[in-house]
Amino acid sequence: MKKLFFVTTLLFLFSCQENKNQSNLKSDINPFFQEWNTPFGVPPFTMIKDEHYMPAFKKGMEENIKEIENIVNNSSKPTFSNTIEELERTGKLLSKVQRTFSNLASSNTNPQLQELQRELSPLLSSHYDKISLNEGLFLRIEKIWKEKEKINLTKEQRKLLEDTRKQFVRSGALLNNEQKSKITEINAKISELTTQFGQNLLAETNGFELILEKSDLEGLSENVIAAAKEAAIQKMNQEKNKEKKKKYQEKYLFTPHRTSMYPFLTESSRRDLRKKLYNSYILRGDNNNENDNKEVAAKIAKLRAEKAKLMGYETHAHFVLEERMLKTPEEVYDLLIQLWKPALNRAKKEVADMQSVVDSEEKDFKIEAWDWWQYSEKVRKKKYDLDESAIKPYLSIDNALKGVFNTTNKLWGITFTEIYDIDMYHPDARIWEVNDKDGTHLGIFIGDYFTRSNKRGGAWMSSFKGQSNLDGRERPIVVNVCNFPAPVGDNPSLLSFENLITLFHEFGHAMHGILTDVTYGSMSGTSGPRDFTEFPAQILEHWASEPEVMKSFATHYKTGEPIPENLINKILKASKFNQGFINTEYLAASLLDMDWHTISADEDLKNSNQFEEESMIKYGLISEIAPRYRSTYFAHIFSGGYSSGYYSYVHSAVLDSDGFEAFKETGDVFNPDLADKLRTHIYEKGSTEDAMELYIKFRGKKPMIEPLLKVRGLNN
Amino acid sequence: MKLLNITLLYFCLFFSSLVYPHNPEDFVISEIEQGKLTFENEKIASEYNAALKRLRIRRINAMSWGEKNIIFIKAGFEHILPKGLDHILFVLGLFFSCLKFSSLLLQVTAFTFAHSITLILASQGLIQIHGPLVEALIALSIVWIAIENCMFKKPNNWRPIVVFTFGLLHGLGFASVLSNYGLPKDNFISLLLAFNIGVEIGQLSVLIMAFILIKLTLNKSWKNKKLRIPVSILIGLVGLFWFSERIISLF
Repeated sequence: MKKLFFVTTLLFLFSCQENKNQSNLKSDINPFFQEWNTPFGVPPFTMIKDEHYMPAFKKGMEENIKEIENIVNNSSKPTFSNTIEELERTGKLLSKVQRTFSNLASSNTNPQLQELQRELSPLLSSHYDKISLNEGLFLRIEKIWKEKEKINLTKEQRKLLEDTRKQFVRSGALLNNEQKSKITEINAKISELTTQFGQNLLAETNGFELILEKSDLEGLSENVIAAAKEAAIQKMNQEKNKEKKKKYQEKYLFTPHRTSMYPFLTESSRRDLRKKLYNSYILRGDNNNENDNKEVAAKIAKLRAEKAKLMGYETHAHFVLEERMLKTPEEVYDLLIQLWKPALNRAKKEVADMQSVVDSEEKDFKIEAWDWWQYSEKVRKKKYDLDESAIKPYLSIDNALKGVFNTTNKLWGITFTEIYDIDMYHPDARIWEVNDKDGTHLGIFIGDYFTRSNKRGGAWMSSFKGQSNLDGRERPIVVNVCNFPAPVGDNPSLLSFENLITLFHEFGHAMHGILTDVTYGSMSGTSGPRDFTEFPAQILEHWASEPEVMKSFATHYKTGEPIPENLINKILKASKFNQGFINTEYLAASLLDMDWHTISADEDLKNSNQFEEESMIKYGLISEIAPRYRSTYFAHIFSGGYSSGYYSYVHSAVLDSDGFEAFKETGDVFNPDLADKLRTHIYEKGSTEDAMELYIKFRGKKPMIEPLLKVRGLNN
Repeated sequence: MKLLNITLLYFCLFFSSLVYPHNPEDFVISEIEQGKLTFENEKIASEYNAALKRLRIRRINAMSWGEKNIIFIKAGFEHILPKGLDHILFVLGLFFSCLKFSSLLLQVTAFTFAHSITLILASQGLIQIHGPLVEALIALSIVWIAIENCMFKKPNNWRPIVVFTFGLLHGLGFASVLSNYGLPKDNFISLLLAFNIGVEIGQLSVLIMAFILIKLTLNKSWKNKKLRIPVSILIGLVGLFWFSERIISLF
């Protein structure tokens, strides 16, 4: 009897045993105020609650300001170590909470976190302003700068000194008081206008609705119809007014959001409706109503020019590009124009191809901008005959991961070991330890791949912890977040070819964040100039579609058969499809961006339409294509941080095509010597050296644009 | 390719604001291009549960054969004790039918045999189960057993057959639990058995505890009759409550 009792009790205890807490963190104290003795320093996700962020942010900013004051008030003579190096050590708590917060507010968000994000944004920008406008701090830095020839600094330290000082100078530290107050005034005006620009645009985008009857759905596929119906129902549920509710009842809703518009433009056989929706998209901010952005855009550009002049630069573009890999507007224009002609020629051919489809259908119209999606799809089916659903079974998420792990393993010998006993912020977030070829720990990689309703759209790389060797060897925690389809039932998640490329792309950024090996955290990983940082990501994409590599990982999820050769060929051929359009619309927007930011301060400008029109006529843009963003909705440059920077994507593309060409030239896409150079000069270096110098060290020469033209099929 | 370009743009948006604060403008851009995030709690919860299942399967796949089996024995046990209240009540219903060891053994064996059959068949996908209906019927089986307990002094001859039939039903219940829990494709049969063993151990524990409890509290003077009817009525009422609750949720 006693025995029985014993057994039952034991069983009972066994069943009650819960997952142990993975750290010794106290649950009654805000986890941000405790040392994270978790494995690899991974944030203790299960202990962090929404209400922990705000107090941690406040204390983090407070501590940060105190640390800065301590540096400024240090009575001993300013030296590199007591000023520049010490600055690197500041803001640890703030960075800890900020990294965790900004990651989770995007990848696993909720209304509270989103609200907090809006609340924090002005607090944080004024906090960072306090530091970058701190005169005492700049005085110390300037003293060190003036003695830079006399002091003994490593190359990396020199670059850090230079970069730190430049940050202050670019905020206006060298100006006199009158100039400074003028700059502050201009900054305030710009900030007000950019906010207004964004709000107008949002109102315009949300303001237009194409509400359709069942009889208007000609040509649309089931999925698209279902999504439109769902959109109408959602709108109806949000609406409180009964009369307004009726408007959406039993209806189908399309909006000028790209996710809603593109499927409609591709499938709908109603040309009149396509035109209507398309026009609603390209006329956003250009409707002469209270949300008009024509004047706002012009004002912003003029103010930027004025500011640049005050700071001693010829134009705003000169001011921005000083810090980029392409150093002057001339270099940027040179690149864009070289690509423009072949792209435009190709686009004209594409129009002709589409027109012949129209003619063969015995329809009597000329191809217009709103016909592009529909007729390019028809051409695609005819010419390329690639069925996306035939590819997917070969691209299960596990195969794709195997592909990217094997590729980087073959290049650099690094290994990935999945860890199962660390609790993450969401059960779909997976975690791997990354080790070097000799077994040394390099970092932690988190992959959060499936789409879900509390995750923002798109794909990105970020980090929970940075790399630094300043006070001992600290290795990074890097994350990739994507929006791939989640598995259905017992089947694995199957990726499209585009998904696969995205996975390799983000993994390239992750490698940049993990292989990095520099002394100072602020210069580590992906901290380089914007027209360079896409390069390490984009070059990795090339391996994904390399037939030899693809065959090694793309096996059918049911049969295990490798992907057939002719399917690979079809994929490669189809990747050149519609490149005339894609490149032309992108380059037109890039040129427009450059034109706006090379104007002089006293140019007479009131309305963006005239400016844009003249600019596009100058380059000879065809009427069937609009710039990817017209001025009145070019939020990247008039509301985001992309002014005179929209060209960056194509510049990185020049680098990655040219860089991969180096491997192709050797006849071995895993050439060990080149792989080694790629690692030591690109992936490890962060921003410790000039980006172009780094590239040349890897490649042996400056990049050429021909490989890119070849990759995109624009070379003939 | 178009989509790819969009994702690239997005990447940069987030990337550029990595260490520095998100600009309010960034929200504007992402809202314009992707629309607003809508938070539907039900959807988020179901996505979370599906992800949890994937996580469990990943973790289990990474374990050794022995570890996996222990996990599944544990899972089976937990789905009786403490999570399977309705199964506990059913087993208690059998227990209070007569408190005679041999009869009890017969009933429990019939029950075990039956639920093993349906558990295996349903897990293999050979039977389709309508979860909520099964749940309602399981509740009804508790009521049935309780009524029989009150009507007959000792289990009648068809009792094992009744119990067997109900066992088939409970097996379907275990199967739907197991499919929510997630069963990896490798070592399928062995893990299924392990789960079943866990269920058995759980069942036996219930019986043993009931036995010990009665022995301790009532000492030797405990009488079958005094206890059987009130307890069975109680069990029956709870079963009835669950049944009505589950039937209502069916519609």
